[in-house]
Amino acid sequence: MSGIGAGREKRVALVIGAGSVKCAAALGLWKVLRREGIEVDMVVGCSGGSLYAAAMALGYDIEACEAMTSALWNRKVTARRDYASLLGALLPRLFGFDGHFGMVHGGPLLEALSRPFGGRTFGDAKTPLYVVATDLATGQQVTITEGSIVDAVRASVAIPYIWSPWKIGDRWLLDGSLSAPLPVDVAIREGAHLILAMGFESAYPRRIKSATRYAFQVNSIYTNNLLRANYSFHNLAHHAEIIPVLPEFDRPVGLFDTRSFPHVIERGERAAEAQLPYLMQLLDGAGAGRPAAVAPGTA
Amino acid sequence: MARARGARPRWRRARHERGDGTRSDGDVVNASVARVSSGAALTGGGTADGARPRVGLVVGAGGLKCAASIGLWKVLRREGIPVDLLVGCSGGSLYTACMALGYEADHIAELTARLWSTGLPRRLHYRSLLRAAFPRLFGRRRRIGLLDDSPFVRTVAEGIQNATFERLAVPLYLMATDLETGQRVTLSTGNVAEAVRASVAIPVWFRPWVIDGRLLIDGGLSDPMPVSVAIREGCDVIIAMGFEQPGHDNFGSLLGLIGQVTAISMNNLLRSTFAFYNLAHHAEVVPIIPPFDRRVSLRDTHLLPYIIERGEAAAEAELPYLRRLLGARAAVAAAPAAEGSR
Repeated sequence: MSGIGAGREKRVALVIGAGSVKCAAALGLWKVLRREGIEVDMVVGCSGGSLYAAAMALGYDIEACEAMTSALWNRKVTARRDYASLLGALLPRLFGFDGHFGMVHGGPLLEALSRPFGGRTFGDAKTPLYVVATDLATGQQVTITEGSIVDAVRASVAIPYIWSPWKIGDRWLLDGSLSAPLPVDVAIREGAHLILAMGFESAYPRRIKSATRYAFQVNSIYTNNLLRANYSFHNLAHHAEIIPVLPEFDRPVGLFDTRSFPHVIERGERAAEAQLPYLMQLLDGAGAGRPAAVAPGTA
Repeated sequence: MARARGARPRWRRARHERGDGTRSDGDVVNASVARVSSGAALTGGGTADGARPRVGLVVGAGGLKCAASIGLWKVLRREGIPVDLLVGCSGGSLYTACMALGYEADHIAELTARLWSTGLPRRLHYRSLLRAAFPRLFGRRRRIGLLDDSPFVRTVAEGIQNATFERLAVPLYLMATDLETGQRVTLSTGNVAEAVRASVAIPVWFRPWVIDGRLLIDGGLSDPMPVSVAIREGCDVIIAMGFEQPGHDNFGSLLGLIGQVTAISMNNLLRSTFAFYNLAHHAEVVPIIPPFDRRVSLRDTHLLPYIIERGEAAAEAELPYLRRLLGARAAVAAAPAAEGSR
């Protein structure tokens, strides 16, 4: 990568955790960073957060991200059922079941991801990018740092049972939230001193009306407990200064709640502004100085 | 795949001592336990009358593998290591309940064999299946589980003689998860068999269980090896037996895939919570993670002797450290305990 942040002592990382539609709050955070001229040295994304991490790393502008968001979190993306997969699950002997199951056909998702990221690779990123997924066979966290961005994001958002796992190299990968819903560890390992960590707890449905909802509920419980356990660990270990940016939503944000976007983005902005004085103090305090350099997206 | 191998080094514990060994907010409990396991002369004096460190035993989630705690229990009894408090989660709740009743290892092994021969669900829970498939017709109830659990409930209730928490020889805490909020729930009052049933409510397989109006599922979803409870209850030394869930090599069915996703989540949660408590070091946690050189699934009842033997071997491997720890702590605690504790 180029010498971004070379003149500065403190390396700043932005980590965007899993949270499906709520991850759009990262755009609010991003607005604040750009307005204040705070440069980010690396971006880490997990699951829904990987979309925004990738867009920021590639230097897209916020308007393009907003367009991407409404194109992606759209009923059209999930409308098509994967009948072959469903048949395989019901009658494994007849139709074959290989574990690469997803209820929703992956085609529209891949198409939606190809629009913003088609043909782009990690090499095109202006800011170093890390996308987190989970190895289906071993359950270990996998950090993707090279190759096609579409592939990486597709693997990172492979929500179990909804979308099929995605193969990269010889590994089948699943949703990163199964191993690291808010992967600050990647930023620590890559030498970040200051980590802006935007994370989300999965919402629980008010009523569990169906078997699918039940499966979701079980997943959400795991992810939330894992998020808290991971965060407590890193907060205590304190290998780096972690600044949590946790947007609060005063109403539930549904999966395809496109009307809520302005609200979600605004909440992200609000949460980022709340942490701004502390962030500034940390950046200035060590004599690091705020760089007048370009923020991601303006280069 | 080198899955189990790769995970092992995470279980190295922090071998450092905490300076203050003077906690004794559990004298009443200590006294009651001293009666149960009276042969506690392992440190050669100074172990009686509440001066010794408070020991907690935690048995985490692990299905059939939890039977390894029988081997651990055998070693603790043989060595006269007293246990002041028991915490069980999921499969571990079965064994900690028996230990809290003061059962000996052989008796617990017998009960386990009986549970796995007569208590294992044989039938599917058809009403649940119909509910899941046709929620409109059969009622949108949240208690969905594939298996008919009534033989299990009956066998467990028989095995632990309808005991209540209040009448146990050693305080017992069983872990479950609130299905609606995802929060950890600690059960420590009322009927033990009910609490065990809630704690083992493996999602998809067993129906959630209602206690005090709360819908509870498997404690492994929130805290698979709940050393947290032992810390909160003031233990100085925590013997924590935990298990990583085995991965599946081929996902031959949807249930296989669900099993794999669950194993991934639970293992990652187990490692994360352990990493936190190991680092925070509120108490000396001695993890005992028995290594299994073969895959143990819920149906491998014939492996029970092997599992118990693995638990015993793993416990014996930690014994010198445990002895040293308890001895050292007793010595530290003996001097300033009198004034420092109140």
